[in-house]
Order: sequence, then structure tokens, then C-alpha cells
Amino acid sequence: MVVGEEVTRFLVQRLALGALVVVFASALTFFFVNLAPGGPASVMRFDVTAEQREALIKAMGLDRPVPQRYVEWLGAALHGDLGSSLLTNEPVATRIGDRLPNTLALAGSALLISIVAGIPMGVVQALRRGRAIDHVFSLISAVGLAVPVFWLGIVLILVFAVSLHVLPSAGVTSAASDTLADRLAHLVLPAVALATTILPTVVRFTRSSTIEALHEDYIRTATSKGLAPWTVVTRHALRNALIPVVSAIGALVPRLLGGTVVTEAVFGWPGMGRLALEAAQGRDYPLVTGLTVVVAAIAVCASLVVDLAYTRIDPRVRLS
Amino acid sequence: MLGPCTYVRLSALVLVATLVLSACTGASQPAGSNAPSAQGGPVAGGTVTIPIGADPTLNPWSPNAFVESLFINRAIFDGITKPGKDLAPAPDLAESWTTAPDGLSWTFKLRSGVKWSDGQPFSADDVAFTFNDVVLKPDLGAQNRASYAAVKSVTVVDPNTVRFDLSRKFAALPSFLAYNAGIIPKHVLSADPLKTTSFNKGVPVSTGPFKVEKYTSGQSVSLLRNENYFGPKPYLDKVVFTVVPDPNTQIAQALSGDITIMILDNKAAVDRVKSASGLVVASRPLVQYYWLALNQTDPRFTDVKVRQAFVHAIDRQAIIKSVELGYGSIANSPITPALAAYYDPSLASKYPYDMQKAKDLLAQAGWKPGADGVLQKDGKPFQFTMDVGQRGVLEPVNALIQQDLKKIGVIVDLNTMEWNAYIQKDVVRREYTATVNWWTYPSDPDVFPYYHSSAAGKGFNIPGYQDPKLDDLLVQGQSASDLESRKAVYKQLQAYTSETLPYLFLWYPQEIDVLSSSLKGVPELGLRDAMHYIGEWWLAKK
Repeated sequence: MVVGEEVTRFLVQRLALGALVVVFASALTFFFVNLAPGGPASVMRFDVTAEQREALIKAMGLDRPVPQRYVEWLGAALHGDLGSSLLTNEPVATRIGDRLPNTLALAGSALLISIVAGIPMGVVQALRRGRAIDHVFSLISAVGLAVPVFWLGIVLILVFAVSLHVLPSAGVTSAASDTLADRLAHLVLPAVALATTILPTVVRFTRSSTIEALHEDYIRTATSKGLAPWTVVTRHALRNALIPVVSAIGALVPRLLGGTVVTEAVFGWPGMGRLALEAAQGRDYPLVTGLTVVVAAIAVCASLVVDLAYTRIDPRVRLS
Repeated sequence: MLGPCTYVRLSALVLVATLVLSACTGASQPAGSNAPSAQGGPVAGGTVTIPIGADPTLNPWSPNAFVESLFINRAIFDGITKPGKDLAPAPDLAESWTTAPDGLSWTFKLRSGVKWSDGQPFSADDVAFTFNDVVLKPDLGAQNRASYAAVKSVTVVDPNTVRFDLSRKFAALPSFLAYNAGIIPKHVLSADPLKTTSFNKGVPVSTGPFKVEKYTSGQSVSLLRNENYFGPKPYLDKVVFTVVPDPNTQIAQALSGDITIMILDNKAAVDRVKSASGLVVASRPLVQYYWLALNQTDPRFTDVKVRQAFVHAIDRQAIIKSVELGYGSIANSPITPALAAYYDPSLASKYPYDMQKAKDLLAQAGWKPGADGVLQKDGKPFQFTMDVGQRGVLEPVNALIQQDLKKIGVIVDLNTMEWNAYIQKDVVRREYTATVNWWTYPSDPDVFPYYHSSAAGKGFNIPGYQDPKLDDLLVQGQSASDLESRKAVYKQLQAYTSETLPYLFLWYPQEIDVLSSSLKGVPELGLRDAMHYIGEWWLAKK
């Protein structure tokens, strides 16, 4: 099984490299966030005296040097302990674990919307280049790129929750009824808002790479063989056009996770993005570091999945 | 990424614009639609939903219990006293209290037969535990512990009586005990009073009219009636606090009927909310004032004429009109109109907006206009930096003050900072020249912690103003035990601070509350204070 060995060696190498990336990200974050101006929210408040501040800093162990604290943190982290949140005293892993599924559901839905809507839009644009529909979709992507998520979010709430009363305004479930349908209804608006952060990029990549593919010799050959235009596009053009799109989508995952910070705040969505904002504002050093580690791990995995997907789409690509 | 404030302000603009549009389609009733919906007395039943900005910490003494925690903590925990509807201290867990003839101790007679929400009996031991083992322990850094600097210890006299022994006279103690000073259970928290997660972020044991049913992080905290509550049975079945960080989403939720009562932080939306059907808008007094602190280590600001000139030069009425939409009044002392028994209204017109007067006072202090119109003294222009913390209305207020001072030839540079970093620079390190902020304090005129010279530099005396005469008035106020003599001292203190301006007093804000027209029985207090009376709230049947 030569292929199996090849895949295994590739995976081991990439995972080892990924682990190094994650450790590097944790060190960078730990030092930056600890050296940033300000301090934990419990001491950076108006109504705390100097004496209380000293006691709290000591109790949190923040009177010790940053390198020493990082080494201790790393040692514990390698044993699976990401430390305790300074804001709540709960384990960082628990706090992230509570929120991760919500963010994955939100970001996953937004990614799905972007792919399901974005790729057909881009293909249609490429096939109808210069026509009205091309201009309409270009305009939609341009607006999508220009409109900030918080603005779109609040407009969606006002239209669909306040005026039309068809969808809930915020939260992940209604207090009264926690059903799958209720959860999906709560997911619609934030997922659509978040999708706009990456949808235009997916559309543009698909459009340009499809246009490029349509100019290739093999398309002319396929067309002259008498294949139906639909078959030419889906079997020949799209397959090649998707290669750059897949890599673009992999690169969009971190942007998508960044977009959750604002989207989750607007829609009261209890995910990691909001947790990250609270952690950063409250200078919850262990929580900020823990969140960065998790996001870095997700980004590493996403790029790994993209590389594996390449081999499926493009047989010329070899794992090495 | 945009800073949170930019984003809040931008979305506020969008909100107002879109609200105007949707007002055309909505079935809006005439303003002031709080027509009597139900005749007769209160009825039991129903759920009230209140938005909060972040996950609360359900322990009034935790240093991580921020403003969003106050709502729930005041509904579930009882203090020894609570703020009365006139804001004077009223009985809560204590039935009555007296001070010793020498003023060096207070004795509180506690209610008998009070039980915790888990059925255990409440007693004087819980009060002694809360203070001796939590608040007065320096290494725990309990929130508000600075308020009890005069308390030596709490002694259990008998199971229903406690005595607070003091190192100096402290007439305001019963008022301070009404302010975020809930009593916590010894039998649950003796191991770790401030960091027990199952309590702070779970289902705490409490004595108030409601108790926690469920805490869902990032989403909501629901309360049920506490069947063991000593007082009258509350009318509401349930109170749900939903965590909604974005203030504009909170407004949208109120408009769609998902929220029963909330504080309208974004006052720009008040007209739209007023025109919405089923919602009522109410303005409430606050024990709060905005100030401009001029660092007294800067010799330019130690001259009282300069401070007085600045107050004349700042158009405070214009600030109230533009950033508070008129919901506020001019401040000239630390005692707010909400403390009606003490407030001296005659000072309100002491510093009219008067640029000429300001210029004259500055000229008397040696500041004369140079060729470019900028004031100069000893060849140096009058120029300084004001640090601006990104929170609430501070950014527009600073811009207005900058413009006003420019008109009299004083150049102000604004240095806008993220809130947490701002606190470190201006409050912790006191490395600032001038800054605007506000104080909210217990419902009592004892403002010792914010003005006494012992609090300069490290305590709450932000400008670092030190004045033996003011110190003397502050101590007299703490020593005067009866209401009339306290009133007399604090009248003098208001006159003296308005003359000497330790802080430049700006305005007393009012709170705007938005409530469903079916919600009744909410006292006319700021919403956080009204939480002490949640047992009296009720919902009219529609």
C-alpha cells in the first residue's frame, strides 16, 4: 500500500508542523496580551483602591514575570490544562468547550451558504460574462464586501424580527421552546450576516477561475467533440476552475472565525467570538491564549483538509 | 476591526434611520400610550424579561461582579438594609438599627425566622461571616471593601443581633449597607467565599424574593419565586435575564416585544421607542454625576480661578441637550437631586455659561491672549491633553468641551483610549492631565472616599485635590448622627465644593427606562435600584 504510506507520512509531517505553529501562536499571544496596556477587568475598574489591586494581582499570580508564567502555562497545556479564566475562575477548556459548538454551527452554516450560493453565482457570471446578470451579481458582491456585518445584522433584525415578525432577533433558542426548528430559526439571520463576509470572495474567485478555464484548449476540444454545454461546464471547466476556489475557501476560514466576533455580539449568539471579545476587553490572559490556540488549531486543520481535497479534485497533485 | 464604540455609534445611526422608516409601516399609537390597561389591583403570574450586556457574576462581593451583575444580585440577595423608595435606608434583613451614644458602633436587630433558599436558617452568623471573613479580609480584595474602611469588625450579639464596631464615626453605614452589600451564606461559602463557581456562575443560595432557576452561560439566567422568602409572595412567576451585548439589538428586542423592561443606554432612540405601541418610556433619577478632573499635580490647575473659568466656559446645558437629549440637569456639587433631603437646588445657577466671565477669571490668574488668540502665561501657551475612555457618552462630551475651551483660547488635545488601558493610565497610575468621567455612589451624601485628602493619589480622589477645610467638613458629615445636623453639614459641603471645585462638576444624568405598558408596580427609581422591589412588580392581563 504505497499510497497509504504516502498519506500517513504526509499527515504525520503536516500535523507535527501544525503543532509547532500552534505552540508558536500561543507564545506570541501570551506575550503580546500580557504586555498590552491595561490588566484584568477586576483590577482595572474605577472603584478599586490601590490596596485591593495589589491583593488581586497577587492572588492571580500576575506579580511574577511573564516568561516564567508562559513556561508554566505551556507545561500545563501540554498535559491538557489550559488554565483558569481570570474572569470566572472556570477552566478555560470548559469555557471554550461550552461555546465552540455554537461557533462551529454558525461558521459552518455561513460557509455552507457561501459555497452553495457563491459557486453557482460565480459560474453563472462567467458563462454570462458582460451580460446583465453578471453586472447584477458583481454589484451584489461589491455591496457584500462593502457593508459591515454589524450594520447588515441590525438591518436584518429590524426587517425580519421587528417589522415582519418572521424570525427571532437574537439568541440561540427561545426560552420557552428549545426544539431543532427553533434553533434553526435562530441560526438563519446570523448565518446570513456572517456569510456576507466571505461570499463575495467565493463568487469572485469562482467567476475568474471559471472564465480562465473556459479559455483552455481542452474546453474547445470537449465542445468540438459535440458534448452538451452543460456537460462541458460541469465535467470539464468547473472541475479545474474549483481548484483555486477550494484553496481560497481554506484561506477564508480564519476570516470567517474573525467575523464571528461582531456577528455573535449583534445577534447575542453565545459563541467563541463573543467570548474572545469579552476576554480581550477584560484582559483574561489565559482565556485569550486558550482561544488563540483553538482557533490556530482550526486554521491548521482547515488548511490540511484543503490540501487533501486537492488530491481528490486534481489527480496531478501528489501528497509530498 | 472597528473599536466597539465606533461600531455602537455607527449602528446607532443605522438604527435611528431604519426606525424612522419602519415607523411608517408599524401600527404606532399616539405617544404616551400607557392608558390604564387593567382596573383594580395587582394580579399574580407572568414572566418579565430583562436584557443584560454580559454574563453576570452572582456574588455581590466578587471583584468580577460588574454592572450587568447588579440587576440579578439585587433581586436575589438581601442586604441588611435596602434603598427606600425615597433612597433613605429601609429595613431588609434588619428590622431596626441604632447607633451607640459615642457613634463608634451600630447595632442591627435582624428579622427572625428568615431562611435561605435551600431551607437553612439565616442568622447573625451569616452577617458576621460576610463582613469578617470576606469584606474585611484584605487578601480577598472583595468588591466595595473600601466603603467599610471604618469598620473594625462585626460582632454577633445574639442570633438576631449584630454590632458593627467602628474605628471612627460613620453615620452613613446604614446607607452603605443598602448598596450592593448582599449577605451571603456561611454554610455554602465558608470554604471559598468569592471563587465558588457553582455559586457565582450557577445556582447561588440566597434570601431574596427570587432565586436562580438556571444559569446558561452566554444566553440567560432565569429566576423563580423563592418559596422561603420572608416577605410577601412576589406576583411574577418568573424573571428571565437574557444576555444581549449589543445595545441596539436590545432596542430591537424591546420593539418586537421580547423584552419587558430595560435601560435605554442609547438615548438617541428615545423618540422611536416612545412612538412604539405597547412600550412606555420613563425618566428616573440616578445617584450619579459627571465631572472633569484636572490633575492637581499640574500647577496650572491649582488656581481656583482657572477651575472656575473652565466651568463658566463649558456649555453644560448644550452637552445635556446633545448627548443626553435633555435627560439631565446641571451639576455644581457632588450631591445629586436624587438625594432630595440633602440636595441644595440654589447652586444650580452658580456658574452660567459665560465666556467673558471665563476670560476675565483667566486674566486674573495671569493668562492673557497671545497674538494667535491662544492664552499664554510666562510665554507658554495654555495647552494640555485630555484622556478619553471609550465608554458611553464620553467621546462626544470631550469633543464638545474641547470646542468650548478653544473659544476662550485654551487648546485641548484629545487622547482617545480603549477603556481598560485608560483605567490603567488615568486611574491606576494617575498619569493624566485632565479627564472626564462619572461617579455613581451609595444613596447617601457621605462622599468622603472621593474627596478626602487621604484618598488622593491611591484612593478615589482622582484629581488629588487636598484641602483641610474640605476634609473637616467630610469628617463632620460622618460624625453628625441625626438627619438635621447631617443636612446642615452637607449643605455647607455643597456650597464649599461648588466654590472650590475639587472636580469640575458637569451634569447629573437621568436614566431612561423602557417598559412594557402591561408592567406595573415598578417604583420610580433607576432600574437597578428598582430591582430591590421586584417582589412588587406585576403584569396586567392583556
